[in-house]
Amino acid sequence: MSKRSILLGNEAIARGIVEAGCEIATAYPGTPSSEILPAVAAYSDQLGTKTAVEWGANEKVAYEMAVSASFGGKRTCCIMKQVGLNVAADPFMSTAHFDLKGGFLLVVSDDPGPHSSQTEQDSRYFAMFAKVPCFDPSTAEEAKEMVFDAYDLSEKHGIVTMLRPTGKVDHARQDVPLRDEVLPPRKDEFKKDPKRWVCLPAGVKVNHPRLNDKNDAIRNEFEEDYGKYNYVVPAKGTVRLGIIAGGTTFAFLSDMIRTSGRDDIEILKIGTPVPLPVKLCDEFIARHEKVLVLEQTYPVIETQLNDRTKIMGRWNGFVPRAGELLPELIEGIIAECLGDKVETSIDEDVRSAMEEMHVTPRPPMLCPGCPHRASFFAIRKALPKAINPSDIGCYTLGIMQKGVDSAIDMGAAVTAASGFYLASKVDGEERPVVATIGDSTFFHSGLTGLASAVYNRHAFVLAILDNRITAMTGGQSSPNVGTKLRKGDQGVQIDLEQVCRGCGVSYIKTVEAYDVNENVDVVKDAWAYAWENKEPAVLIFKHPCITILKEPPTPRPVRVDPEVCIGCKYCITSFNCPGLVFDESSKKAYIDERYCVNCGVCMSVCPHGAIVSREEA
Amino acid sequence: MQFVIVGTGGQGILFASKSLGHIAMEKGRSVVGSEVHGMAQRGGSVVSHFKVGEYLSPLVKVGEADVLLAFDQNEAVRNLHYLRDGGKLVVNLYDPEAFENDRLQSSLDRRKIEVHPVEGYSILKEHMGGRFLFLNVLILGAMCGAGVGGVSMDEMSQAIRDLAPARFVDENLKVLKLGYEAAR
Ligand code: SF4
Ligand code: SF4
Repeated sequence: MSKRSILLGNEAIARGIVEAGCEIATAYPGTPSSEILPAVAAYSDQLGTKTAVEWGANEKVAYEMAVSASFGGKRTCCIMKQVGLNVAADPFMSTAHFDLKGGFLLVVSDDPGPHSSQTEQDSRYFAMFAKVPCFDPSTAEEAKEMVFDAYDLSEKHGIVTMLRPTGKVDHARQDVPLRDEVLPPRKDEFKKDPKRWVCLPAGVKVNHPRLNDKNDAIRNEFEEDYGKYNYVVPAKGTVRLGIIAGGTTFAFLSDMIRTSGRDDIEILKIGTPVPLPVKLCDEFIARHEKVLVLEQTYPVIETQLNDRTKIMGRWNGFVPRAGELLPELIEGIIAECLGDKVETSIDEDVRSAMEEMHVTPRPPMLCPGCPHRASFFAIRKALPKAINPSDIGCYTLGIMQKGVDSAIDMGAAVTAASGFYLASKVDGEERPVVATIGDSTFFHSGLTGLASAVYNRHAFVLAILDNRITAMTGGQSSPNVGTKLRKGDQGVQIDLEQVCRGCGVSYIKTVEAYDVNENVDVVKDAWAYAWENKEPAVLIFKHPCITILKEPPTPRPVRVDPEVCIGCKYCITSFNCPGLVFDESSKKAYIDERYCVNCGVCMSVCPHGAIVSREEA
Repeated sequence: MQFVIVGTGGQGILFASKSLGHIAMEKGRSVVGSEVHGMAQRGGSVVSHFKVGEYLSPLVKVGEADVLLAFDQNEAVRNLHYLRDGGKLVVNLYDPEAFENDRLQSSLDRRKIEVHPVEGYSILKEHMGGRFLFLNVLILGAMCGAGVGGVSMDEMSQAIRDLAPARFVDENLKVLKLGYEAAR
């Protein structure tokens, strides 16, 4: 333990993964986990390990690659976000039963709040479901330390182990200790042994009881040997309340005790919630009159307790059953527990000032200059009555352009289009369907849906919004771009048109996303073809995400001509660009140069021709 | 010292907490904070927390921030509750007239909040050809000029030299100075 360095929580985890001797690391990007794998690559290069790092096309692919790579004895890991584990749930459940050989670590980042996910699910439940041990870090430093123990535990018991940070650990920035030396690599010595490595129903008779035994053994170890993660922080004064806490709620409690001098709370910190060290908890509970359980996001510790009669927590609704436990919320809950007065400090002055100043939160929206905005606008304009299923990624924000009617999960744009088609088919009515999906998402899980739609003769237009990147999660590459994670590594670029042709699609067209006017006709034609031939038609709207542009494109500066603008707000409601705003006093639109990137796309938006090139002025 | 840094996506807010962290580490202090990732497309609200000292939690509790760095005046108002009474606000004004709002001013007075405004966009328009991407460094300069946050201009200049991409160091130092002068 020589030096300390300021790292992002995800970098700290990555550093732990490399230092612990992991040699194969895979992932699919997803906030809040996305920065881990690129950092594994960077540290591997820096520390001179040969660690293989790869993005899988989706989480199931990534998981299966990493876990199999461990069968011969190597340390491997797979990284994803909580909803990603739904995709990888199948191999996760199977391999939990296996008697593994090499250490295998699954890192799943949860997103309480949620800040960037379609669910708030708690992966510790998944650990419980699979009967797999789970480490729940409170800080970036602890997350890094847990990586080592998770590998040791995995190798000792031949079991999958889970590290489950939450977003505030992943995206904490903190000074963290670094080790200089890396644990030595393990040799790959895979031995053929079908009983061990083939998942057959007959194996379950042996596998499941063995898994139960492992759980009992691990629970005992968590009770005794993991004092650095599971321990009591005694109160300095007279104890009025006992709190069982894990994850970032523990970090907040520690700060609160230190800074506000609160001396009447005793804390039992739990860093290994699954399987829960129940004896530790029982002893703690027995010593206190009331016990509050603070955990994110589901009552995982709480529901494993033997006796919940004097417990206050999420299970019985004393703690809100959903949402992130922010410091001010926790403080209120503790006050309520103790019957202390809670001060509410709503500043009426500020509140009315906010009204007078029109201060409203700015929700996430497509960047100014985003090619998706142009695509949505053309799609809506071409077929205003169409149903528009969409998918998970930046383009979900197309909801502001009224271009998104449904989004279930990754890949569902395609399958939902099939569903909407079937519903109208039963009624024998023509109802256009134009689905939108991103390039990376298409490879993640759009492909199978497309094969199914072609085979079943479903009429819809699938618009693949190809921005050459996985944008929302920070710009990872994808199979149609061809670049790989490590700088200089070149993969094979898979051509979207060819993939679709291979799936049996006969109508495929690639267009420039910025060409709004042309694309209106293109969309109409594609739908006409799809409906007439009863098959999906694919349009590829191509234009790079503006966040990856090395050189800015030729600027096309615009202005709103106040003489021509009639204040109809069409540009605001249908195009919704941060660079285009409405002045309520003059009742005219104008360009907010703080945000405008001079892409010029909005010139084709105003039906009255009020948005004009600045040169023309 | 607890900071809350607010603005909208694309304004370079993460660079501000990186510089603060760099400076604190050079002084051997512990740091912890939280970054904002994902769904923070350019134009959406962004909040980042940053603490120097023996803290574990990356979040600043409402009413406990010593300094609020606001890259956008509306976001400043929306996040005023993070500041403690007597806390300090460094704010980039876009529409100073709106900020004069009576109710707002009376709250700021009552809570003894020290306000250090800079009109970042007009400064950048005048001196940097409207390259608004320098806003983050301008705000950092203003923070030093205002003498808040416990960071000196020398320390900040060094941090910029260490952290900014080599070919932009000179321009960044120029902007830092502009911010510094504007808030003095
Ligand atoms: S990050 Fe790229 S794809 Fe996402 S909204 Fe911004 S420009 Fe569009
Ligand atoms: S610019 Fe055009 S679309 Fe926008 S408000 Fe004026 S007239 Fe309507």
